[in-house]
Amino acid sequence: MYSPDDTIVAVATPPGRGGIGVVRVSGPAAAAAAGAILRAGHDLQPRRATLTSVVGAPDLERALDQVVATYFPAPASYTGEDVVEISGHGSPVLLRQIVEAVVRAGARLAEPGEFTLRAFLNGRMDLVQAEAVADLIEAVTPLQARVAFDQLEGTVTAAIGAIDAALFDLSARLEASIDFPEEGYHFAEPAAVAAETRSLQQRAQALLAGARAGRLVREGRQVVILGKPNVGKSTLFNRLLGAPRAIVTDVPGTTRDLLTETAEVEGLPLTLVDTAGIRRTADAVESEGVARARGALQVAAAVLLVLDRSRPLDDEDLALLHETAAADRVIVVNKADRPPVWDAADLQDAGPRVTVSLRDEADPAGVRRALAELLWAGEPLRDTPTLSNLRHIVLVERAAAALARAADAADAAAPEELLLADLQDARAALEEVTGKRTADDVLQRIFTRFCIGK
Amino acid sequence: MDQYDVIVVGAGHAGCEAAYAAARIGARVGLCTLSDATVAHMPCNPAVGGTAKGHLVREIDALGGLMGLAIDAVGIQFKLLNLSRGPAVWSPRAQADKKLYGAWMKQALDREPGLDWIIGRAGRILVERGRVAGVALEEGGRIGCRAVVVTTGTFLNGLIHVGPETRAAGRAGEPASHALAESLKSLGFRWGRLKTGTPPRLDRRSIDFSRFEPAPGDEPPVPFSFMTEAIDRPQVLCHLLYTTGRVADIVRRHIGRSPLYNGQISGIGPRYCPSLEDKIMRFPDRERHQIFLEPEGLDVDETYVNGYSMSLPRDVQAELVRALPGLEDAVMLRPGYAVEYDFVQPTELYPTFETKRIGGLFLAGQVNGTSGYEEAAAQGLLAGINAVRRTRGREPLVIGRDEAYTGVLADDLTTRGCLEPYRMFTSRAEHRLLLRIDNADLRLTPRGREVGLVSDARWARFERRRERYERNRARVRRTTVALDGGKRLRAAQALRRPEVRLERLAAQGGLALEIAPGERHIDLASVETEFKYAGYLDRQQAAIARARRQEGLRIPGDFRYAGVPGLSREMVERLSATRPATLGQAARVPGVTPAAVAVIGAHVGRGAGSGPHAAAPAPTPGENRQPTST
Ligand SMILES: Cc1cc2nc3c(=O)[nH]c(=O)nc-3n(C[C@H](O)[C@H](O)[C@H](O)COP(=O)(O)OP(=O)(O)OC[C@H]3O[C@@H](n4cnc5c(N)ncnc54)[C@H](O)[C@@H]3O)c2cc1C
Ligand SMILES: Nc1nc2c(ncn2[C@@H]2O[C@H](COP(=O)(O)OP(=O)(O)OP(=O)(O)O)[C@@H](O)[C@H]2O)c(=O)[nH]1
Ligand SMILES: [Mg+2]
Repeated sequence: MYSPDDTIVAVATPPGRGGIGVVRVSGPAAAAAAGAILRAGHDLQPRRATLTSVVGAPDLERALDQVVATYFPAPASYTGEDVVEISGHGSPVLLRQIVEAVVRAGARLAEPGEFTLRAFLNGRMDLVQAEAVADLIEAVTPLQARVAFDQLEGTVTAAIGAIDAALFDLSARLEASIDFPEEGYHFAEPAAVAAETRSLQQRAQALLAGARAGRLVREGRQVVILGKPNVGKSTLFNRLLGAPRAIVTDVPGTTRDLLTETAEVEGLPLTLVDTAGIRRTADAVESEGVARARGALQVAAAVLLVLDRSRPLDDEDLALLHETAAADRVIVVNKADRPPVWDAADLQDAGPRVTVSLRDEADPAGVRRALAELLWAGEPLRDTPTLSNLRHIVLVERAAAALARAADAADAAAPEELLLADLQDARAALEEVTGKRTADDVLQRIFTRFCIGK
Repeated sequence: MDQYDVIVVGAGHAGCEAAYAAARIGARVGLCTLSDATVAHMPCNPAVGGTAKGHLVREIDALGGLMGLAIDAVGIQFKLLNLSRGPAVWSPRAQADKKLYGAWMKQALDREPGLDWIIGRAGRILVERGRVAGVALEEGGRIGCRAVVVTTGTFLNGLIHVGPETRAAGRAGEPASHALAESLKSLGFRWGRLKTGTPPRLDRRSIDFSRFEPAPGDEPPVPFSFMTEAIDRPQVLCHLLYTTGRVADIVRRHIGRSPLYNGQISGIGPRYCPSLEDKIMRFPDRERHQIFLEPEGLDVDETYVNGYSMSLPRDVQAELVRALPGLEDAVMLRPGYAVEYDFVQPTELYPTFETKRIGGLFLAGQVNGTSGYEEAAAQGLLAGINAVRRTRGREPLVIGRDEAYTGVLADDLTTRGCLEPYRMFTSRAEHRLLLRIDNADLRLTPRGREVGLVSDARWARFERRRERYERNRARVRRTTVALDGGKRLRAAQALRRPEVRLERLAAQGGLALEIAPGERHIDLASVETEFKYAGYLDRQQAAIARARRQEGLRIPGDFRYAGVPGLSREMVERLSATRPATLGQAARVPGVTPAAVAVIGAHVGRGAGSGPHAAAPAPTPGENRQPTST
């Protein structure tokens, strides 16, 4: 089994993304390993970048001439251990050779996530931040990256921590009232306790309000494109992807199977599904495709229903309008370049719609915006900390529910120990997000704040 | 052939319970103590109980121990604290007639045929092949035995401070134990040094009580013991007064002469029981502090000045006493003092109170870093029981955190250790709502019976009471009652409303309850609580079930923490020293993060850190005997 006393090494930048690549070495022997493989390895100054070259690799000497090495002594480093970071040109081959040199000097390859695990276990980051690191590395869209970065920076931790701290303080006062009843005064006035508990509950609720948006950014949504044959579904699919992924012909029934691609739409990572045009058909293959299209509708978060304005609305269009009425949907009224045979206003209460010529508009911005608006559902990503991780959301929900119970109990003037049972649940949930506190910590707070005891 | 099964060293609060329990179970017990005139002595506050401490006493009583009976017999003022709150935090407290308390205890021990007094000074623990073999007295002579329970309180290298005067002493007027301290140290235990203090005592005849607020007890007094029907001793008043600005001035003027503030004392004192110096210096904003005058007995002149503990020089103490309004003419019989003493880090112990290093050696009471008579007694009781069970090769009695405050105490001490004197608080018990004084017997008397400590008389009374309880619960579930609105509903439902009380439902007819004359309070409370707080109790039960899952994962004794990736060196050291038996205990070791627990859990699950040993689920710490409302 591997141990924390090992020195570990790995390429720290994502693979295959040109520019600069960083090799990170962490552990008690990090400095020694740097000394063994770098020309200036023994002269590295703490936290100062040094231009040097890799030694002992004659065939690479030229290519590895230009590395920059920085030494971060423990504990002020990413992992909390001695760390050396070596940046070189981003070629995967070269980076791997640096890693191999470090391994020859006594380190071992890091397990996936091991740097972050060490950082976490050494108290360099809390659980939320550790999870954010993983999110940041996997971020596809800039918005995802921003949310993950916020969490890494600790804004979520700070927001949860602030609620927890207030809760902790309130608990300490209530506990003091119970454990020191003879002190002759209330450490927490009942009316104030009710108000405080309510306000804490609202703060937790506010975090949750942002959570829907957060999850949307982190996890994305599946969006299915539906419509009769030949209305332009595959054209829309290709336009949103920005690439001719699906076959487009003027033959109705071109698309037979489901086509799935991910695309970024207004910062959201969406999974788009192109489907077979829906109609009654005797063709076995096509009717299977139609069944799959209906199946996709069942699991999708939103629907883009495409209608052709250059042809009359028929029963099949109306049936589709009816079938998708309950779903979150945007109606795409297509082929605006051709003479209209009906008016978009005829659709009346059908919800958001965009009139467009997918043939002429290379980037259907109107569709993108309408779709994004639909998915945000009036929940634009605010500049407040955003919960995006399901684990955090569940825990904060648990805390909010416990706080609601406590607030009700406080309103009913229930005794402190009952309030505390709920506050304890709330704290346990919040602290599961960020860390932990114990009964001793509560007592500690009591004794530093109040002069108590006989 | 050993002379004794168990030798208990020290006849303080821990020692008395330990010796009594061991003898009751049928062991041959030697109780070695410095003097039979100081048995169960109260060197500080002449009172038993208080928040959470009162719970401990009820639990000691439910298990078949002595403390509850003793205080009921000699108490001179009883009070149920926290009555304005819910029944989970009601806690009894009583002033004791201090002399009678010690005398009562001594008599109770004298009645045990299997118990011998050994008046002398234990100087060395005899160890053979890693196991305890006996005790050597400083006066000479060795006494063989199979288990030893050391309960020497503040005596190990005790040092008393009164201003600049220092004296080696266990407590006022009694010499410290040095040889025994060295003997224990040589066995390799980790140590610490703590401090505690006591206020000056005044002559009652010199006090003008008419100047103070009287502080009476409850009428009628509610007893501690499940065996006591009524308290018949005459009850007395305590008195309340407050410190003044003048008191603060005097303390500030002389603070340089306080051993606490001039570096003379290094031991860490209890923050929940601050000395007067700390009250004034650390909380300068507080205008006044409460002081209670408490009689130390019915016909004793010594009066205890609760809240006025200090270690300033004598002359300053006298000045401070006379500075209190109403005490201008008070005569100080003896000054307050601080005492520093050595204690063994209780992480050296299993939750049975046996040391991990030496088989058969148990430690209980203040020697483990706790403070308080009740904390000491609870430990003594468990240590006494387990010492005997150890000599007989029986499974130890371990009480879980979800079963009793006694269990919280054992677990806190042995997993967390002590950085300051440990006192019980209700906030330490995460399952507080279930650990009430009204159900202490339901929780623990069956366990006391199993180990042989609960007498036939107590058992018979308990069984009657439990049957009443079951029948009353069934009636509350079955019976419908009419509330003021006239609507009929089940009593169980009605009780969920805050304003509806069981006593009233019973009094207004409709709901017939069985209530025993001397046990009215308990009969009502134990039934009412189950229904009134059903929602909360159910949630706590669920929390217990969650905690049990962690508690159930046993960590092998030879688990290698160093083999677990990512644990900091500090965590590895702490965990290796504490050797938690379960993942739940590991989670409570200070400095161990939830992530570390998760990682350890994963490795224990795989048996990774332990070589050949596979992890087996541990039996839960004491099967749950908590009555639930259904
Ligand atoms: C000055 C002072 C102030 C205190 N203040 C408070 C307070 O404010 N609040 C509070 O809760 N608690 C206080 N306490 C603590 C409380 O008194 C103790 O926690 C409790 O009495 C401990 O019980 P014990 O059984 O562990 O030890 P003790 O009651 O101290 O008993 C120790 C016994 O060991 C015996 N003994 C010692 N050495 C030997 C030996 N070598 N051989 C044989 N016998 C030996 C002694 O004779 C004694 O009987 C105070 C104690 C003191 C001394
Ligand atoms: N004039 C005009 N033609 C369009 C427009 N959008 C799509 N078309 C044409 O309509 C035909 C059908 O387009 P597709 O995108 O394949 O339609 P579809 O809905 O995917 O059809 P099936 O896969 O057969 O169901 C193609 O010839 C497109 O070029 C538009 O806005 N204007
Ligand atoms: Mg198509």
